[in-house]
Amino acid sequence: MNKGYRGLWLLLAIAFVLFTLLSSFGDTDLFGLHLKGSKMADALFADAGNEEKELPADTLEQEVVKPKFPAPLDTAAQTILFVGDSMLDGLSPRLSAYAQQSGHTLYSVIWYSSSTEQWGKSGRLKEYIDQIHPTFIFLCIGSNELMIRDIKEKRTQYVKDLMAEMDSIPFLWIGPPNWREDTGINDMLQSNLPEGSFFLSNGMSFERRKDGAHPTVASAALWMDSVARWMPEHCSHPIRMDFPGDIKARPKRIFIHQPEK
Amino acid sequence: MSLIDNLLNLLSYQPDSPMLFSSGLFWGLFLVFLPVYAMLRNRHWQMVIFIVLFSLFFYYKSSGWFFLLLLFTSTVDWLLSRRLATAKSRGTRRLIVAVSITLSLSVLGYFKYANFFLWNWNQMVQGNFQPLDIILPVGISFYTFQSISYIVDVYRGSVKPTETWVEYLFFLSFFPALVAGPIVRADYFIPQIREHHKSTHAEVFAGFWMIVLGVVKKALIADYISQYNDLIFDNPTGYTGFESLMGVVGYTMQIYCDFSGYSDMAIGLALIMGFRLTPNFDFPYQSKSLTEFWRRWHISLSSWLRDYVYIPLGGNRKGTLRTYVNNFLTMLIGGLWHGAAWKFVFWGAMHGVGLAVNKACRPFTKRFDGKWWFNVVAWSITIVYVSLLWVFFRADSWTDSWLIIKNIFTNFSPDHIIPFIKVRYVWLIMMCVIIGSHALPRGFYDWLEDAFVHLRWIFKLLIFLIVVQLVVEFASEDVAPFIYFQF
Repeated sequence: MNKGYRGLWLLLAIAFVLFTLLSSFGDTDLFGLHLKGSKMADALFADAGNEEKELPADTLEQEVVKPKFPAPLDTAAQTILFVGDSMLDGLSPRLSAYAQQSGHTLYSVIWYSSSTEQWGKSGRLKEYIDQIHPTFIFLCIGSNELMIRDIKEKRTQYVKDLMAEMDSIPFLWIGPPNWREDTGINDMLQSNLPEGSFFLSNGMSFERRKDGAHPTVASAALWMDSVARWMPEHCSHPIRMDFPGDIKARPKRIFIHQPEK
Repeated sequence: MSLIDNLLNLLSYQPDSPMLFSSGLFWGLFLVFLPVYAMLRNRHWQMVIFIVLFSLFFYYKSSGWFFLLLLFTSTVDWLLSRRLATAKSRGTRRLIVAVSITLSLSVLGYFKYANFFLWNWNQMVQGNFQPLDIILPVGISFYTFQSISYIVDVYRGSVKPTETWVEYLFFLSFFPALVAGPIVRADYFIPQIREHHKSTHAEVFAGFWMIVLGVVKKALIADYISQYNDLIFDNPTGYTGFESLMGVVGYTMQIYCDFSGYSDMAIGLALIMGFRLTPNFDFPYQSKSLTEFWRRWHISLSSWLRDYVYIPLGGNRKGTLRTYVNNFLTMLIGGLWHGAAWKFVFWGAMHGVGLAVNKACRPFTKRFDGKWWFNVVAWSITIVYVSLLWVFFRADSWTDSWLIIKNIFTNFSPDHIIPFIKVRYVWLIMMCVIIGSHALPRGFYDWLEDAFVHLRWIFKLLIFLIVVQLVVEFASEDVAPFIYFQF
């Protein structure tokens, strides 16, 4: 090997070994710098059989009282309305893939930084119900209310208002993906929503984005997978959720609402 | 055991993760490839066979058993080229060329365009369309064009057919250029196989510099800015006019970084091995006319289209009107080459129209050449036209394209600029870097390359470590697939 090739090979080899070694420690701090770990060690040494353990735990492992279900599966093609806060950025593409695979039509409404209070006061959910005539509704609201004190007193009414707006349309409320202990949003939702209409996300493990709150795209997809796995046994009105081939798809339409000033 | 299982898994065909030059897997494989290549490079045939085998494995990793198709194409082409070289009568020679081109285009047509034509046919007859279950082999558009140029060049006498099938397979399957170009021309590349130049120390590190530059463009900048651009194109009505405008500008830069970055890596890899590939990009967004743009953008494709479509159609030798028509038809084919969809046809057609208008205006604008204000106007028109056409190229449908463009003009408010800067400052920094890099003189890049080559080894290592760590830091959760793979 001539000098050029020797130098290049050595350079590439040292860097390769260094990154593989570093990646086995995950993220590291070096001279005060926080360095993200690569996935090289995982690719080489991770036990492929244990991959499932890395998935977010679904609520089967948590303290969920098994309801009277399984209810019969509604095999009809649904018009699904999915409303909520910025968590839909990750959830909606994956739910859309499920919808596409199962013959449903999905409409998503993302209202950034929204809360049960804003949704309850605004009547926006009813407007979309009147416009789209959904046969099933998914909600994911509550991430912006993890820290609200006296949440039961302050927000219960809004949750009830939202249920009234949905009237008899079957729905599933996906709880917020706690990144810290909440002050009671999950308890409040669980105690107010009908049995089989609430998916508790608290306690699941997520890979988060840099903001520390939002799950990454991959993690949000696994989150939605957990919801889909949970539905047949636990949802009060399970609909078809056939596992999709595509990792994500696009809803028929997405409505965006910016945060209220 | 898990290490062996994982290695076997990594080395087997995985349809969802084609091997990119910027991946850790390729890096690992190159560590094995390089010393073997270095040992064999003085033994011509062993070196040729080794590179062919590595290229076939590389293609297997990207396209599975379709590497057999590559072997089939190369065998047929080579046999026909040998027959062509000995055929005396013009009729026989033309027949051989026709058979070869028909075969190449049939294979390409089946894999790439069958569903497109069936869909259109069914739209016309109102049939119930069920798409055929066809997987598009990666890079088929690139190597098909190489195979056509080879047979045509042999017919024209500008290239002698290779003595052996292995040499031809080397030309067709050369892994740096196999899946995404640059499109290698036989008259330029085949002599290099025979004369195999041994790369010097400076060339090895100049090649490595190209790779580092390519990684920065593709894996760092393009992959990062694509995350925002995807939001805009996935939801055309969901954002403000300013955000949509930024998405369009972002995609304009993304496609350049993505494709030119990958080309840089391919050129660098080849250079390390002592082979020279033609440059594929030459600061295209500096262009002051569409004609100039196509001399600087995807040069290997545009020169291929010029030599094998435009000139055979008559070029500019048959009058003004015919020149415009030839330009238009060439770009139409260029558009269709990019993908089997009407949006690509429209994109190509509009470039054809733009080129015709550009040529038609030339006699009137010639007098302003060199004037600064004319340069500004000409550059502005060119970049706006090219960027707008990228919208049709990228968006999922016509409706989405129009919605994005309409949104820019009807939902624009300067109020959104400051919040955008606050939230998307990293994206903006990346954009400034790539736009700024266009403004620097070419000499600066030559100087940079020279400085890198002559840098002490330890600093080269340091630069590489920093670049890789930056890629890790900014890596999107799901790495954006290389845009040109789908073509």
